[in-house]
Amino acid sequence: MNLTRLALRNIAGSAFRSWVVAICAFLVAGFAIAILLILRGTENSLHLAIDRLGADIIVVPEGTATKVETALLMGNPTQVWMPRSNLEKVSAIQGVVAASPQLYLSTLNNASCCTVASMFLVAYDPETDFTIEPWLNRTIGRGLNLGEAVGGTHVFVPEGEQNIKIYGYFVTLKANIEPTGTGLDQSMFITFDTARDIARLSTKLAEKPLIIPENSISAVLVRLEPGADPMTVSADIIRQVPGVTPITSPNMFQAYRQQMNGLLASVLMVLGITLILSGLLIGLVFSMAANERRRELGVLRAMGATRNFVLRSLLLEASLLALEGGLAGISFAVLVIFLFRDLIMRSFGFPFLLPNPGLLLVEILVGLALALASVIIAAMVPAYRISHLEPALAMRE
Amino acid sequence: MIQLEKVSKTYWMSKENAIHAVLETSLEIKKGEFLIITGRSGSGKTTLLNLIAGLTRPSSGRIFLDGQDLWSLTDLQQSLMRNRKIGFIFQFPSLLPSLTALENVVLPTIFNTDHAKGTGTPRAVELMETVGLKDKLNAYSRQLSAGQQQRVVVARALLNQPELLLADEPTSDLDEQTELEIMDMFQQIHRASGITIILVTHSTQLVRYGTMSIHMAGGVIEKTENHQPV
Repeated sequence: MNLTRLALRNIAGSAFRSWVVAICAFLVAGFAIAILLILRGTENSLHLAIDRLGADIIVVPEGTATKVETALLMGNPTQVWMPRSNLEKVSAIQGVVAASPQLYLSTLNNASCCTVASMFLVAYDPETDFTIEPWLNRTIGRGLNLGEAVGGTHVFVPEGEQNIKIYGYFVTLKANIEPTGTGLDQSMFITFDTARDIARLSTKLAEKPLIIPENSISAVLVRLEPGADPMTVSADIIRQVPGVTPITSPNMFQAYRQQMNGLLASVLMVLGITLILSGLLIGLVFSMAANERRRELGVLRAMGATRNFVLRSLLLEASLLALEGGLAGISFAVLVIFLFRDLIMRSFGFPFLLPNPGLLLVEILVGLALALASVIIAAMVPAYRISHLEPALAMRE
Repeated sequence: MIQLEKVSKTYWMSKENAIHAVLETSLEIKKGEFLIITGRSGSGKTTLLNLIAGLTRPSSGRIFLDGQDLWSLTDLQQSLMRNRKIGFIFQFPSLLPSLTALENVVLPTIFNTDHAKGTGTPRAVELMETVGLKDKLNAYSRQLSAGQQQRVVVARALLNQPELLLADEPTSDLDEQTELEIMDMFQQIHRASGITIILVTHSTQLVRYGTMSIHMAGGVIEKTENHQPV
């Protein structure tokens, strides 16, 4: 017999108290880990998306910043246009070391000429590109040829097919980009030449033609000179290129971040309320249980248990219950988030990427520590009171 | 072995209302004595026992156990002393319901770090045999009769080979036959080990088992007698 075994036996012996405390720990840890996972997953996803875009500034037509960000983050196709001449104007601005145009297109929905419905298509210019081409050179050793594409992690060739059909045009998928948890995972990247070829042939092959307005582009990706201030360059772009909105990398997806902060405030409030209510409930239950066991604890004191032993014994019981409930809550939350991450992403309208195992472990430990702390703090007052009672008084009815 | 010097215990119900459970009591109990404390309910006999055991702090006066002032000791020293020197038998069912009979008997070993590892269980089995319950080692308290539970408590009280056994109305909930068996057991233990026993009871008939008896009323010792045990 030792302290841990005694605590375990007492846990088994008082089912009601054990269940209440374990359920409170379950809720606290489950909530905490869910919030941490979603927030970190979203932040992680946003960072990866920004890294993947690889641009210091994205210049889009005025008033379309949110549309473009939504397309990039959630994969909702969009078509925005501005004159191609903006590329030269942006390139000429001081501090800009590289500028590359992109076209934002989409496949048709419910059309037999497209095997993938409503997919966001990004066409890039291989001659000036500094985001996709370097990655392609690293992975497949060359750039894309006409009719070739690279897809996000969730883009695949339909079963039984050799290629992906877009506007009746067969595109060969050459590689898939690592997951980002954003709309980029469901997007496809093609060259300008392929985009124009698809547009040209779509009049014959597709149910509806793909229209790319003449001398138009959707965005300009900008890379700055080392040391150049993105805010200064952005201000210059606004001054010198009318009708555009520059989005700097640190400010990218700002609308999402604000929405996320709003959600964060709400969930933190729910977590706070859960913590307070759980604390009160645990305190009450422990107080009741400690009172019920006054005699038993008095007997332990008479047999030679110190005040400290009784306190440790009660807190150990609380900790074991917190660990049990906390681990169950964490496992449940992680499982639900893992299984329903796409649904969560869609319903909240946020991108999401599960963290790597190391980070996940840290988050699990944080959730567990929170459950432990809340249960121990709540149990501390009744445990201290009962352990410091005179044994003779404790044993009295 | 035990000395009480003008010991009082007062419970304050309100600023004006105080109950003097034990009043200015002095007593000396020698090693090997079998003391029976009798008295009516509320006479202060249980409080006196608790005072002797250090389970409650006296309002005034001093209590010595083996020459050591009990209340000059720290909580740790007091607890160790209770664990090593004193065995307790209570009036109420005091077995932990979540533990088996054997685990209950072994329980005092977990408070004593000096206890040689693994020696508790063989001694507990031996004691369970002594109290006639070797076949109930794995029984829980709910599976034992009141008499059997009290025997397990006696075994538990003897585990650490205490010098002093304190029993608070150990037979009050038992039938006459079981009471006799338990009292015989106390007497056997006393004779075999020479242990000091202090037993509180409301039954004056049990006085004959002791070597000494005191009768309490209103918190004071009314009568002290020495006996030749049966």
